[in-house]
Amino acid sequence: MIDTKLLDSAVQDLRNVLRDGLIATDIWDRIAGLSLAGFNQQPVAVALFTRITTELESSLTDSQFPPLARYYLLDMEGNHTVAVVNHGALLQGILVDNKRANLGILISVAIPRMLETVARAQAAR
Amino acid sequence: MTARSVSWTDPASVAQLLARASAPRRAAVPTFALANASSAARPMPRPAPVVAAVVAEAPAPRAITIPPPTRIKSQFPAPKLVQTSDNPSDCLDALLAWTLDHQRCTGAFIADENGLTLAAHGISEAHVSLVGPLLSALVSVRMIPGIDATAGALWLGNSMMSWVESRNDRGGFCLGTLGSEPLSSRAFDQLKEALEVTVRRL
Repeated sequence: MIDTKLLDSAVQDLRNVLRDGLIATDIWDRIAGLSLAGFNQQPVAVALFTRITTELESSLTDSQFPPLARYYLLDMEGNHTVAVVNHGALLQGILVDNKRANLGILISVAIPRMLETVARAQAAR
Repeated sequence: MTARSVSWTDPASVAQLLARASAPRRAAVPTFALANASSAARPMPRPAPVVAAVVAEAPAPRAITIPPPTRIKSQFPAPKLVQTSDNPSDCLDALLAWTLDHQRCTGAFIADENGLTLAAHGISEAHVSLVGPLLSALVSVRMIPGIDATAGALWLGNSMMSWVESRNDRGGFCLGTLGSEPLSSRAFDQLKEALEVTVRRL
């Protein structure tokens, strides 16, 4: 069991921290592809980033690179930045407007807080 | 030289010309210039009254507008920073505002240990990013027993960056200011305390 209430509160906390810089976020099970919590949820993005993350992890392994740790970032057109956070069995996508959201706060405050809270939610299982 | 010119060696002539050129509008009150010019020719009879007369006749001093005393921030104890919000962004904003209000600086910033800006005012991100290599360089310094090295000042060429560092479970954070001179040790203590209060809420 995953404490989905804790996931919901983590999403709310993320909204508070990033304010209007947060465009969308999803937390999903990487095997089932099922979104468990989110804001302005994007099912297509869930499928896309599950596939990208799987490919990335296998490519890193095949290349004998260090494995993916906490997150990776994608800088996209239109002031969009995506952070994909690795929670182990769960993945999380965070889409921000990088003109409104401070990337320092995203990386040094928001993501570490999410990692801690989601870990607690998974520990409840 | 046949024609005799006015010469500085003839103090009587000089005094006479000066007296004509700057003819007194009031009753002859000797001025310092006249008194000095004529002193070579004859001794000044009563020097003390001359000074008194000059003082008495001196034009009324112009009204000088004395600007109100400017508040030199660091001369006053800054109030302790009290964080009232649980929102990290609010806490960072409050810390930045408190720093700008109560410390002698033209700019201030909060950065993570890699030099990534969390909040800044009056300082470029390029300057803030110096924090990354700076803190990395200090890691070996801190290996020396008894050396804390969690605060310091760095001359940037045309301004002084003063900074303090504090850590929580998620890493290190740095609060810095930009000014013409390094902050006082008291100001460093205040900054460090304010940063610690904030970092606990991040």
